[in-house]
Amino acid sequence: MLFNRQQHNGNLKKSSETRTQNISVEEADSDAIIEFSQVSKVYRLYKNERSRFLSLIGIRRKGTTVGVVNANDELSFIIRRGEAVAFLGQNGAGKSTALKIIAGVSHPTSGTVHIKGRVSALLDLKAGFDGRLTGRENISLRGQALGLTRAQIKDLEPTIIKFADLGLYIDQPMRTYSKGMKARLGFAFAVSINPEILIVDETLSVGDRRFKKKCVRRMREIITDENVTVLFVTHASEIAREFCTRGIVLDQGKKVFDGPISEAIAFYESNF
Amino acid sequence: MLKTLATILKDNWKWRKQIGHLAVFELIKKTRGAILNWAWLFIKPGIYMLVFWFALDIGLKAGGTNSYPPYFLWLLSGIIPWFFMREILNIGSNVYHRFSYLVVKVRFPLSGISTINSLSALIVHLGLMVIVLIVYFSFGMPLDLYLLQIPFIIVVMFIFFNIFSVLTSQLSALSKDFSNLLKSIVTPLFWLSGIIFDIYQVNIDWIHTLLLFNPVTFFATAYRDALYTKSWVWENPSALLVFLFVFVLTLVIMLVVYKRLHKEVSDAL
Repeated sequence: MLFNRQQHNGNLKKSSETRTQNISVEEADSDAIIEFSQVSKVYRLYKNERSRFLSLIGIRRKGTTVGVVNANDELSFIIRRGEAVAFLGQNGAGKSTALKIIAGVSHPTSGTVHIKGRVSALLDLKAGFDGRLTGRENISLRGQALGLTRAQIKDLEPTIIKFADLGLYIDQPMRTYSKGMKARLGFAFAVSINPEILIVDETLSVGDRRFKKKCVRRMREIITDENVTVLFVTHASEIAREFCTRGIVLDQGKKVFDGPISEAIAFYESNF
Repeated sequence: MLKTLATILKDNWKWRKQIGHLAVFELIKKTRGAILNWAWLFIKPGIYMLVFWFALDIGLKAGGTNSYPPYFLWLLSGIIPWFFMREILNIGSNVYHRFSYLVVKVRFPLSGISTINSLSALIVHLGLMVIVLIVYFSFGMPLDLYLLQIPFIIVVMFIFFNIFSVLTSQLSALSKDFSNLLKSIVTPLFWLSGIIFDIYQVNIDWIHTLLLFNPVTFFATAYRDALYTKSWVWENPSALLVFLFVFVLTLVIMLVVYKRLHKEVSDAL
């Protein structure tokens, strides 16, 4: 396979994929692939652009902040290799913030985060594609953006193209694609690059009926692979119940429930 | 601060292959949808150059009559680096908006995003330099040691403006004021530099000194020294020292700003 997992397992500490933010703590669990301890993310809301800017350069005056949002509030959890975890919660509960931190694009205000492994996010399937380039070129473009080498991309290309099943369109500029076609290529890319951590944000409903079936089948394959950790963000309980074994319920940035999926869904549905 | 510098260098080195490929993709994007695709990268500066030559040499008679080496070459060697610098000032100072995908969707080193843009500008610049050298030799100019300065100047220019791009793109991401400010100083930076007049002809001392602080002046003069005036960069120590000062200052400010702001960028976009 493309990413040699054996080797990766053996070299967790040395691996370039290992990412530690803030202060590192002693490793508690050797199987832990994502470790949040006391993670807080604070967004400050300012009165205007001027006060926002002044505060960023270190000048904080009274009355310029109109509010503080704790998007994640002392969040702690450990996710192990091979788990499929659903993040449940209302809008604004902090699910996306937590996933952004896992994806490494946002940094926590305080707390420690350990991530081991390549993260692939199905958060926005169409982001990063360029309409002027062809589908094939966009595969390469996105692969480069994720840090894959040219050889790795070359290996993956046939799988992605076969999964997306776009026919002749794969060599046409992407601006000629329909919305569904773009999403298909995005989905095909995300599930074909053999991620170690896959983040899925309610994007299973892609394309037509036939393609949707294929997506669900592929998702099931990924989830049963014990090396891949899958994180779901969803409001729909049925999807969570079908794919996940564990549920974490968030409310106002805090973890309010963490346990088996059926209990988590019951908790979520009775409380929210 | 040295740690920040080490991080930036390490990020760029580790991602060098991806940065290189993405820089080429940037150029491919620009050339798509036109039959004369790659040619446009050179036609645009070519027309710009001809217009300036027409206005200054034919219109204003700035070049005098029958000078040798020709005035055209004087003008060309000053304007060519400008095309590179203009690209950084216009786009390099706002790369996070242009490549927002790399900032908010995937984990890509922020300083590397500036390098993608600078590198694609550099590729075009190298192409233009080939054309410049063809023009240079077709005027019957000599193959001499002074030309050896050019590769070094290109490298220094690339590094300086990449530092500048990292600095300004961080600031622009956090406040629109910076991108507006930079957009409005592009034209002044061109006219208040030595590109289309010789700053040593300016008789007022303090203006002369002030113009030296414009890095555009340094690079335009350095190219001209190599291709036209035939002198070495160090033969004008005051200009070199002023540039070194500007270089170090820009680097220090960039490191301070990067250290302070790089974690805020993705939240601010």
